[in-house]
Formats: sequence, C-alpha cells, structure tokens
Amino acid sequence: MLRITGGRVYDPANEVDGEVRDVCISGGRIVEEVTGADVRTIDAAGMVVFPGGVDVHTHVAGGALNFARAMTPENHRNAAKFTHSPELRAGVGGTTPSTFATGYLYAGLGYTTVNEAAVPVLSARHTHEELRDTPLVDKSCCVLMANNELILDLLEEGETERAKHLLAWHLWAAKGYGVKAVNPGGVTAWKWGKDAKILSEPVPGYSKVTPAKIISSMAAMVDELELPHPMHLHCNNLGAPGNIDTTIETMKVLDGHRAHMAHLQFHSYGGDDWDTLRSESVRLAEFFNEQPNLTADAGAILFGDSVTITADGPWQHLLYQLTGRKWGNLDVENETGCGVVPYTYKGTNMVNAVQWAVGLELLLLINDPWRIYLTTDHPNGACFWRYPEIIHLLMNADFRRECIEKLPDKALKRIHLPGIDREYTLSEIAIIISAGPARALGMPQKGHLGVGADADVVLYNDDSDRERMFGHPRYLLKGGEVVVEEGDIRKMVDGREFIVRPSYDDNIEEYLRPLFEQYYTMSFENYPVEMERLEGADIRECG
Amino acid sequence: MGGKVTCTLGEVKNRADFIIYWGGNPADCHPLHFSRYTLIPKGKHVPEGRKGRTMVLVDVRETPSAKHADILLQVKPGKDFEVITTLRALVKNQPVDAARVAETGLTLEQLQDFVDRMKNARFGVLFFGMGLSMTRGKHMNSAAALALVAELNAYTKFVSMPMRGHGNVTGADVVMRWTTGFPFGVSMSRGYPRFNPGEFSTIDVLVRGDNDATLVLGADPGATMPQPAIDHLARTPTIVLDPKVTHTSRLARVHITTATTGISAPGTVYRMDEIPLPLKPILESPYPTDEEVVHRILEKVKEKPAWTPASYKEVPCA
Repeated sequence: MLRITGGRVYDPANEVDGEVRDVCISGGRIVEEVTGADVRTIDAAGMVVFPGGVDVHTHVAGGALNFARAMTPENHRNAAKFTHSPELRAGVGGTTPSTFATGYLYAGLGYTTVNEAAVPVLSARHTHEELRDTPLVDKSCCVLMANNELILDLLEEGETERAKHLLAWHLWAAKGYGVKAVNPGGVTAWKWGKDAKILSEPVPGYSKVTPAKIISSMAAMVDELELPHPMHLHCNNLGAPGNIDTTIETMKVLDGHRAHMAHLQFHSYGGDDWDTLRSESVRLAEFFNEQPNLTADAGAILFGDSVTITADGPWQHLLYQLTGRKWGNLDVENETGCGVVPYTYKGTNMVNAVQWAVGLELLLLINDPWRIYLTTDHPNGACFWRYPEIIHLLMNADFRRECIEKLPDKALKRIHLPGIDREYTLSEIAIIISAGPARALGMPQKGHLGVGADADVVLYNDDSDRERMFGHPRYLLKGGEVVVEEGDIRKMVDGREFIVRPSYDDNIEEYLRPLFEQYYTMSFENYPVEMERLEGADIRECG
Repeated sequence: MGGKVTCTLGEVKNRADFIIYWGGNPADCHPLHFSRYTLIPKGKHVPEGRKGRTMVLVDVRETPSAKHADILLQVKPGKDFEVITTLRALVKNQPVDAARVAETGLTLEQLQDFVDRMKNARFGVLFFGMGLSMTRGKHMNSAAALALVAELNAYTKFVSMPMRGHGNVTGADVVMRWTTGFPFGVSMSRGYPRFNPGEFSTIDVLVRGDNDATLVLGADPGATMPQPAIDHLARTPTIVLDPKVTHTSRLARVHITTATTGISAPGTVYRMDEIPLPLKPILESPYPTDEEVVHRILEKVKEKPAWTPASYKEVPCA
C-alpha cells in the first residue's frame, strides 16, 4: 500500500487540474484511502503527478522493426547503452532499440502503455515474442487488415458480412487488440509494383474494390464488432505533396464511422511537387475539428536521424529512389508488406522544415486535445525517447520562435507556425500523452487516477525546462510497484498484453481453411498464435 | 547501397513467374523448396504452376538442380561479382566491354537475354546460396546481388532471398537482433552489446584464442570451422548441448545429451523468410531440453557473486 502526498495532481479525465491531493494505491489499483502501519508514503512536494503515459501509435516489436535492426547497426554503435545488472538486461537504444531497452526507455519517460501499430497475422507470433521481452509497459497490437486479399476478395464479391467474420477471426488469430488499415489497397497493388492513389479507382487486380470501399466497409465492421479501439487508419498517399485532398476525402468516406487517423503530419501537405510543397494544417485542422467521429495522432518529426518503417511499400520504394540510401522491403503473403529506409531530417532542408512545422501546427490547431495525441510514429518521424523535446516546443512559444528563426527562409512562406501563439498547459499535456490516447484505445483502466484505475502513476519535478522535466521522471509506478525511484530504474516488472476476442461465426473456418491451404505456405493449425505465447494476457470479449 | 528487397515464400508461390537460383543447389540442400514454394505449386496468380514459371540456374557447375532449370548459366568460378556488375550495367542500358564479359564464361548475348527476361518478368525472384555469398568476393557478391534486385524494381517487381539453412540459424539471428540490437558477432564483455563482425564473430574469437570457454548449442563447429578454431575448442573447456554425438562433442570436455527440438522438445523455428513456425513434439524423450539445461546452468551462475561493472547505469553516448 502506498500514498503519494503533497504533489500537484493532473488527472484531466477526472477534471483534476493541478490540485494538491493524495493519491492512494493498493493491490495495483488506485483506491480511495489507505491506512495502517505498512503504508509507504512518497513525499511529492514540488512534483506534479500524472497518470502513466500511453503511446497510441508506435513501432517497437515484430518482423518489420527487427528487419530495421538488421539493416541499421550503424545507428546503434553510438546509441545509449544499457549495461546488465542484477535487475536489468543489457541492450542498446538508438533509432530501433532492443526490446528490453525499449521498456526501460519508455519507463524513463513515464510511459506505461504502448500500442504496437502494425502487426501482420502471419508473423504475429514473432511480435508477441518480442512484446514478452519488453518489460515495464503494458502492450496492445493493431493487426494489418486493409490489404488482406482474402478479405478484399470477399468485398469484391459483395460478401461484406462474411468479410466481417473473417476480419474478426483474423484479429483473434493474431491475438490483436485493434484493426489497422495501411494505404488501403495500395500495399496489395505494390505486390505488382503499383500503388492505389485515387480513392475512387479500383485497386489493381480488382474491379469493384476501391480504397474508398475498403475504408468505409472496414470502419463499419470495426464499429459493428464493437471493438474498443476504432479502425486505426494510415491514409493513402502518405508523404506526397498535395495529399491533403486524399486525407479530407478519406475523412468524408468514413461517413460518421469511428476512426483513428494515424500520424496525421504525413498527410497534410499542399503543393504539386517537392518544390511547391506547403503546409495544409489549417485546412486539415478546420475540417477535422468538425468530425467528432475521429481521433488522430500527430506523427511529428524532429530533425536528426531516423529510420522509416511502414507497411506502405510503394512509398518506401519512392523514398529509396529519392534518397539513394538503403532500402528494405518485405512483402507478406496475402496480407501486407513493409518497407524500411533510413532517413535524416535536416533543419536546412525546406521539405523537412515544413514537415517539422506541420506536426506542431496540427497539435496546436486541432482545438480539442482529447482528439489529437503526441506521437512521432516512432521511429519514423523521430524516436519516442525524444517526446520531451516536442512537449517543450508545445509549452513554450518563445522557444518555438527561436527554433523557427533557424528554418530556411523559403520554408517560412509555406507554414503557419509563426502565427500561432498557443501554449499547452500541463493539463493539456496530460491529455495528449495519457488521458486522450487511453480513451481512444478504449482502455478505461488507463490514463487516469480515479478509483479503480491501474496504479500507473508518474511523478515529475515541476521544472521550467519542460524537456528536462518530462525526460527525467523522479518516480514511476507501474501497477502499484515503484519501478523508477529518484530517476533510476530500480525494479523490473512484466507488462500485460491487452487483446480482444470479437464474436464471429465459427463456420468461417470451414470457408477459410481451403483458401488458406491454397494460398499460404504453412499449415492452417500453425497460423493462429497460441495463448501460451502471451504473457499476462488481458482478454476483452466484444460484439 | 544496402538493404534487402524480399518477401515471404507464399508471395513467390502466388506470383513469381521468373525464378533465379544463384550459387545454390536446392535440389539437394533444400529439397522441398521447388515443390512447396517456388516451381511446382499452382499459385493464386500462377494457376498453371510449373508451366507458368521460368527458372534460371546460375552456378559454376551442372548440379542436380540443373535438370529443373529452363536455362543454365554456367559462370567461371570466382566471376560472380563481374557477372552481377555487368547485369546491373545492362539493366540501366550502360555500355559494357564484350571481351571482359567473355572472361566470366558467359557471352554478352546470354547476359542481355537474361536482363530482358528479368525486366519482362511480372514478378521475379533471386534466391542466392553460399556459392555466391561464401566464394571470392563474399559479402560484396551478396551486396551486388541485393543491389541488382533493388534496381530492377524501377522496371518491374523483383525480390531476393538468401537460401539460409543449418537448423534454426534464422531464428538465432532474429532473437539476437531483438535482445541485443544486432544480428550476430556481438560481444557482451563490457556488459552491453557491441557489434563488430570480424572481431566478435565466432570464428575470429576462436582463431585468436580470445575466449577461455565455449558453450555450443545447436551447432557443430568442429565439422565446419577452420582448423585453428577447432584447435582452440579442443584446447579449452568446451561444453556441447546436442542430442547426438557430433564432431564437436567428440572434442568437448562436456557433452550434455538433450532432447531433439521438434521431435521431443517444443520450440519455434524461423523459416528463411523469417516467418516463425511452432514446433510440436511427437515423442517423449528421457533427456532434458536445451532450454531446461541452459536454465539450470543459469541458476548455478546466479549463485555466484554478481559481476557488474563499477557503474551499471546508462553509459552516455560515445
């Protein structure tokens, strides 16, 4: 049992805004009160108390990330090192940290829950093995569905109901939590070296299936199955100049269905080519503000080295041709693909400068912090361990202006950031890093400090240097255990994995089995991930 | 330059109409490759099966795989790099010197025909074996092959895949990457992972005699490594975990017999395309599994006083 006393508590989900009050913990949960001789008290005077951070969109485990690790050992040579000790496993940080280091680095920011945003069913077993080796954080997975050809084949035949059962079956087979749609139709087109850039045009290889049809039918399926997290959507035309039209068209196609728009920064550009690229964040934010069915994460970029990892294969081929750097590509049979290209965002490059501004503009212009969350699409826009730099930029307009002054002149005409004075409050930060993403993920036990919530609590020094403050929590409690104390990781605990079991017609297996045996290369029995692979699975029944 | 453009084996089965094997003999070394994944199966987009696919074998000699090939390109030993470089030039319509091409054992016409076929493929795949990656040029050969395939994607869909084998070598590579950040050649001697092939790779460590004990799991280095490495294994305490007597177990100080994974022990094997497959035991074994033995050794190690460097906090960037 534990009492945190004297700290200023920011718990926006329960409308607590910086009041000095006690937080009591027992049995891994927040409770009303604790009494007795064995209650440990943490004096939090001078500190702020937040619910543990929740990352709604990150890439920390699985085949694609491990592919990137193999491709970029040079990014780890000079990265942070983690030396083994009686408590800690060894590892490296850098752009694609090893699994144990990932857990330590997230805990070192005060984060306690992460959502791995792109998992193919075929290699989901691998993802879960890695998540098992990622300590200190609770985990969930979004499963890649929008280029699954067995599902698209059913949409082609107009068999939407059966497609829904198949989607639900796959989600359970992968032991996933949510449904991910990446460049709907475009990744399957990439299997023939093509893309799907226009929402209303048929996907290569199909006559009736268009990206728009995939988006609208899949979002409807997710709603009908009553999944806790809406469809997690990576729009078509990522990164391309002028893609704002596609993004807004996508939001219209959703027609009121719930969706989470991933890494919106990469989808808010105007212009016709790289020379005329400009920020369209104002137009996007204005439209987004009117769509209550949508949430989004920023996918902000920061200048420096990164490695881009996405299921968007055609985009990665283009990026390889643009940069001339290494290119990894891994197409996954019948389901999805993945591309890996190392990338360096340069403050002197006009395009990168616009991208940097767009990420911040979206966070500042979307007026409801409950619907836009802090991410960098780790490791695409920047590594997650650089989040405190973004928090500093959001909370301090003067610092932002200093940074804008360093941008190339020709970028300044193409962005809106210099005219924005808004500064985030601590309460708003608590929303975009914890309360908001927990709500979007549909995890009622996360992102707040009300009675019954998981005792994931972080204590930061109230420091005017917000980057230092959010980069060095004094204490972190995970499920009631004190894991970070005086800035050091002191204790190792394993995280849980959240999964959903949607209802589906059992006969769907009879439909699937012969197709699977024809098109896949493993036995059907070996395809679903066994429960034993997961550590601390927390199953939610749906639909 | 670098990276790898690849896919899972089902993509090859469902789509590939042009298949190259280079420096490998799958008929003997990967006997199910043709029938399960590449040549024979009727794929979703290759309903004709074998008739819908063209197979080219590039090798220094006519191996048993040659009878499965539509075209055999016999390269002079040690000239693979030159052939690939010529192909890369032809792909981009660059001029090449026919006399230099002749040194490779192939003619310019043969190579131009090869390039035309690659470019006209709907979905091409290059599988390469140790005849390419472990002969003169070594990793430079692999890099050239990977670059050729990446560049072909400007014209059509093309992928590549190394023909890995030797038990669960892919699995070892995959797990090393997620636990240490690096695929192989990792030293933990400072308490954190460092990667330097040539310095920390197994053969180099053994040949220099850097280590004073060796634990061998699921491998038989005594059969495949250079003699100085084997001599060092024999000279120092070597512990082998293996279901069978092997070259290495004969020279080891300790051989612990373990259950055979996949037959009497469960586990996971990663296929050459990095897809994990569960192994389900069908027989019982009186012997412990590798995992149990390693755990028991670890328990004993933990009883010793912990070795930790002076400061086990995060080491700042170099």
